[in-house]
Amino acid sequence: MVIYALRRLGTALAVAWLATSAAFVVLRVVPGDAVDATLARAGASEEELAVRRAALGLADPLWQQYAVYVHRAVQGDLGRSLITGQSVTEMIGQQLGATVTLALGALALGIALGTLLGLAGGLGPGTWPGNLAEALASLALSTPVYWTATLAIYLFTVVLGILPGTGGDGFRHLILPVMVLGFHTAGSIAQVTARSIRQTTAQGFVQTARAKGLPERLVVDHILRVGLLPIVAVVALQVGFLLGGTVITETIFVRRGLGRLLLTAINNRDFPVIQGVVTLTALTYSLVNALADVVYTLVDPRVRGEA
Amino acid sequence: MGVNGVRHGRLCLALLLLAGVVLLSVLAPWLATHDPRRAVPADQFAPPSGEHLFGTDLLGRDVFSRTLYGGRRTLGVAALTALIALLPGLLIGMAAGYGGRWLDTSLMMVMDALLAFPSLILALALIAVLGNGVVQVALAVGMAGIPAYARVTRAAVLEARALPFVEAARALGARPMAILWRHIAPTVAPPLLAFAGVTLSWAILNGAALTFLGFGGDIAAPDWGIMLADARASFRIAPWVALAPGVALSVTVYAINLLAGVLAEHPANR
Repeated sequence: MVIYALRRLGTALAVAWLATSAAFVVLRVVPGDAVDATLARAGASEEELAVRRAALGLADPLWQQYAVYVHRAVQGDLGRSLITGQSVTEMIGQQLGATVTLALGALALGIALGTLLGLAGGLGPGTWPGNLAEALASLALSTPVYWTATLAIYLFTVVLGILPGTGGDGFRHLILPVMVLGFHTAGSIAQVTARSIRQTTAQGFVQTARAKGLPERLVVDHILRVGLLPIVAVVALQVGFLLGGTVITETIFVRRGLGRLLLTAINNRDFPVIQGVVTLTALTYSLVNALADVVYTLVDPRVRGEA
Repeated sequence: MGVNGVRHGRLCLALLLLAGVVLLSVLAPWLATHDPRRAVPADQFAPPSGEHLFGTDLLGRDVFSRTLYGGRRTLGVAALTALIALLPGLLIGMAAGYGGRWLDTSLMMVMDALLAFPSLILALALIAVLGNGVVQVALAVGMAGIPAYARVTRAAVLEARALPFVEAARALGARPMAILWRHIAPTVAPPLLAFAGVTLSWAILNGAALTFLGFGGDIAAPDWGIMLADARASFRIAPWVALAPGVALSVTVYAINLLAGVLAEHPANR
């Protein structure tokens, strides 16, 4: 078991390393770097551009840049912004807290709401709570985050005037973004939970339990023990949705965070910053998924034999 | 109403909504009441009326006409995006699932590395490389969708390969390409079609997200993502500017999800 866990985490690290190496190569072979974006636009001469490139190490061969990058990255140094000259690690550190708070809040709400809707939809298909739950789940899956956010700001800030809409850092400013992102995170969780519970209900052991006259309360207990397991996997996948969703949410609610940092970097073609944020995202996402696999084998004895 | 009745009802609703959305977009030049790009500053933020069915925006452009034309651009980009994701995904998945162990391991290693990025983040990283524009958005979002479709295709092919009649065909000495085409392709078609639907709705949402974030090129173009981005600045005084493009996006994605759901419940997929 421990060996499996270690091997799974090792694979995740290897995959993340492969992914960031690919990103490194792709982000550097394109024509037009930040030197073009800033100096050339300001009308600098070709020689000045070359001097600046050499100073930033952009003129070295690719393998040399990569070796330097890896050597520094393992020491926690992700390079410097081509625009401001600030350390990328420092820039990420300044924005990380805001994004983590938003993502964790939305994840907690998404798991709670998604499980609740999934239970209602899975245990009572055809009843009104079941239908309502399914309708809400498909609403969460078909409406874009950037639209529900607009509607939420209009309703809670403009019409009702009870919550602040955009800007700000405080707790009250966190409520609406967390609600919006959490609602959308709940969609897939609800859908997967409902489907899993319906499939479990149709299985032999549930029919046996009912046939031998077990009280319905205990039958439901039987169903939930098996039917709720896939939540682990879907939650891990939803972390990927959340990491992308924070970019959009931060833009609409005008919040600080990694998403804003990434968008600004893309517009400035500030590749070290893009690389830093993307690397961190890939690492987080791979580790979360590896962790989910390990947790899954812990809670479900059936897959332990295969692992 | 039995299970089949419910499924039939869903299928009809999904096809009806989709046909409506596609027809409205295709017929935009005949149905639109105004030029979708023409700004009339005097008409700024006119509420919905007989003259402007869905009102006007900050520049006095007709929201109804922009929504109709927006469907052409948004859905066109989404269709291109889905193609860019599906065709290579299908080929890679088939090759990995049927091409032997070495090919499988190496192809899937690359796909897994790409899957380490959340899809929207991968699309954003690609747009940083490709630059702004509609075609770039389709390329970025589409390429970000390749690994997921390759994985699903590979899984379906591996499952089909183990079926008794495929083994029988192989035992009888049928050529690999013939087995792939005559036995495996029809078996894997239903689940792959259902996942193609999921890919399309995902292409619409992520593509519109990138145009919403300002990477879709021409910012005056009628496009649902651009309209929602414009609405950010003005929905507090003129809420109608955000209504039509948002409803249009949601209805389209809802219809495609519904269709994908019905396909996934197809008897062949159980």
